[in-house]
Amino acid sequence: MIVLFLSSGLFLGWSLGTNDASNIFGSAVGTRMVSFTRAAIIASIFVIIGSVLQGSGASDTLGKLGSVNAVGGSFTVAFAAGLTVYLMTKAALPVSSTQAIVGAIIGWNLFTDNAIDYSSLTKILVSWVVSPALGAIFAFILYHFIKLWRRNTRTHLIIYEERIRLGLILACAFGAYSLGANNIANVMGVFVPSMNLQAASFRLFTLTGAQQLFLLGGIAIAAGILTYSKKVISTLGNNLLELSPEAALVVVIAQAMVLFIFSSSSLAGLAGRIGITIPLVPVSSTQVVVGAIVGIGLYKGVRNINLSLLGNIASGWITTPVFAGIIAFFLLFFMKNLFGVDVGHAINPVKYKESLDSGLIIKNSIIVLLFLAAVYLVYLGMKEKNKTKKLTGGGSLR
Amino acid sequence: MSLFTNTTREVIIKLDEFFDSIEIGVLIFKEGIKAYVTGDETAFENHLNKLDDIEGKADKLQRAIENEMIVHSILPQQRSDLIKLLDVLDEIVDTAKGSLNEFFIEIPKVPASLSQDFISLAEVSSNAAEELIPAARSFFREPHLVRDKLIKVYYFERETDKSSFNIKKKIFHDMPELSLAEKAHLRYILHHIESISDRSQDAADMLASMAIRLML
Repeated sequence: MIVLFLSSGLFLGWSLGTNDASNIFGSAVGTRMVSFTRAAIIASIFVIIGSVLQGSGASDTLGKLGSVNAVGGSFTVAFAAGLTVYLMTKAALPVSSTQAIVGAIIGWNLFTDNAIDYSSLTKILVSWVVSPALGAIFAFILYHFIKLWRRNTRTHLIIYEERIRLGLILACAFGAYSLGANNIANVMGVFVPSMNLQAASFRLFTLTGAQQLFLLGGIAIAAGILTYSKKVISTLGNNLLELSPEAALVVVIAQAMVLFIFSSSSLAGLAGRIGITIPLVPVSSTQVVVGAIVGIGLYKGVRNINLSLLGNIASGWITTPVFAGIIAFFLLFFMKNLFGVDVGHAINPVKYKESLDSGLIIKNSIIVLLFLAAVYLVYLGMKEKNKTKKLTGGGSLR
Repeated sequence: MSLFTNTTREVIIKLDEFFDSIEIGVLIFKEGIKAYVTGDETAFENHLNKLDDIEGKADKLQRAIENEMIVHSILPQQRSDLIKLLDVLDEIVDTAKGSLNEFFIEIPKVPASLSQDFISLAEVSSNAAEELIPAARSFFREPHLVRDKLIKVYYFERETDKSSFNIKKKIFHDMPELSLAEKAHLRYILHHIESISDRSQDAADMLASMAIRLML
C-alpha cells in the first residue's frame, strides 16, 4: 500500500529527471562536448547523493508550509502536482514542479482547514523571484571571468576546449548534486511528515526516515535521467538557445550555485552569522537557467531581451500554484468522499472566530485569484490555438 | 573523448607541423621559380623533389589531424570549419607543387627581360601565403588578433593581381617577338603562380569568419 501511495511522488521524481536533466547537461550533450551516457551516469549518481545528503533543508520549509499528515494526502498532493505539470506541459504553458507542489500543498491546507504559514510562503515566493535574478548575476560574473581568462592566458584552443569539457563534467556533477538537494523536496517533501519511517542502520552509515525517502526519490529522478531525458534533450535541442560550450558551462555552474544556496543548511548557517538570511526552499531549475541565459545576454550586450521569456517566468509564478491548488483541492475531495481515504486533518486549524475578517478576506481573495487564473488559462489556451491555426494556415491543409 | 589522454597534445603538435609544412612548401616554391628562371636546373629539380615530399607530408598530417579530431571528438563545434580550412591550406602546397610541375613538364620559355618580373610575382604571391600561416596559428591562441594579421594577406593578394596584370600587359603589348602560342603559354604559367595568393585569400576569408564566430 505504501508503495502505491509513494508512486505519485516517484512519478513526479521521474518526470523531474526527464525534464530537468536538460538544464544540467543538455547544452554539454547538445554541443557534443560530453557524451550523453557519460553525462547521464554522472548526473544520476550525484542527484542521488545530493538528495540524500542535503535534501532535508528545502523539504523542512515545505513541511512548514503544509505538514501533510496522512499518506493518502501526500499521495494526492504529489499526484495533483504531477497532473498539473503534465496538463500544463500539454497545453504548452510554462510550468515548474516546484511551483506545482507548493500550490498543491496550499490546496491541501485549504481542504483540511489548516492555517497557511505565511512566513514560509513569503520565503518561498521571494525565492522564486530572487532565484532567476541571482542566476543572471552569477552567470554575468562567471562569463566575464571566463572570457578574461581566455583572453589573457593564450591557451591553445584545443587545450582550452578540453578544460571546458572537464569543467562541464564537473559542473554536471555539481548541478546534479544541487538539483537533487533542492528539488527532492518537490518529489518527497510531502511524504516526510506523513510517513514515519524508522532510521535504517547500515555498517558504515545510518539513513534517517526522511533520507530513505530522499534516496527513493533520488533513484526516481536518476531513472528519469537515464531512461527518457535523451529524448527530451533531442526534442528540445540545445536548451533555450544555442549556447557555446563556455556559455553552457557558465549556465550550469550558475544554476548549480543558486540551487545549492537555496538548499545548503551549512551555508545558510554561515550566512546567518553575518546577518544574511538564506531561506532553504525549492526553486525552479528551469527558471534559474533562463535567468542565467539572460545574464550572458546582458554581458554580450544584447539589447532586445525577449520579454515574453521573462513574462513566461512571471506568469508561471501565479498560474502553476493556483492551478495545482485547484486540482489538489478537488482530488482531495474525491479521495476523501469517494474512496474514503484519510487525506489528513487540521493540526493548526484556521482560527475563524479570532480572525474572521482576515479569514474571509483570504478565502475571498483565493476565490478571486482562482477565477482570474482560470480566465488567464483560457486566454493562454486560446492564444496558443490561434498561433497554431496561423502556423498551419487556418487549421486545414486542404 | 580525448579527455585525460595525450591525444590533444599530439593533435596540437601535428597542427604545428602541418603549418610548418605549408610555410616551408611556399618558401621552396619561391626558390624553385627563382632557380628555373635563372636557368639553374639542378637546383630547380632539387626544389621540386623537396616540394613533392613536403606536399606528401602535409597530406598525411591533414588526414591524421582530421581522423583524430573526429575519433576523439576534438573541437566538436569548430571541427567542420577547421577541416575545411586545413583543406584550403593544403591546396596552397598542392598549387605550389602543381605550378613547379608545370615548369618541369612544359618547360616554358621565360624571356630574360621578364625574369625579374616572374621572380617578383612568385615572391609577392608567396608572401600572401606566408602571412596567412601566423594568422592561422594565432586562431588557436589569440583569435582576437587574427583579423589584424590577415590584413597583410589581402594586401599581398592585391599586389599579386597588380603585378600579374602588368606582366601580362607587357607580354601581349610590348613583346612582338613572342608568338601567340608562347604568349598564351606564359599567361597560363603566370596564372598558376598567381593562384597561390588566390588560395591564400580563400583561406583568409574562412579564417576571418571562424575567428569572429569563436569570439562571439
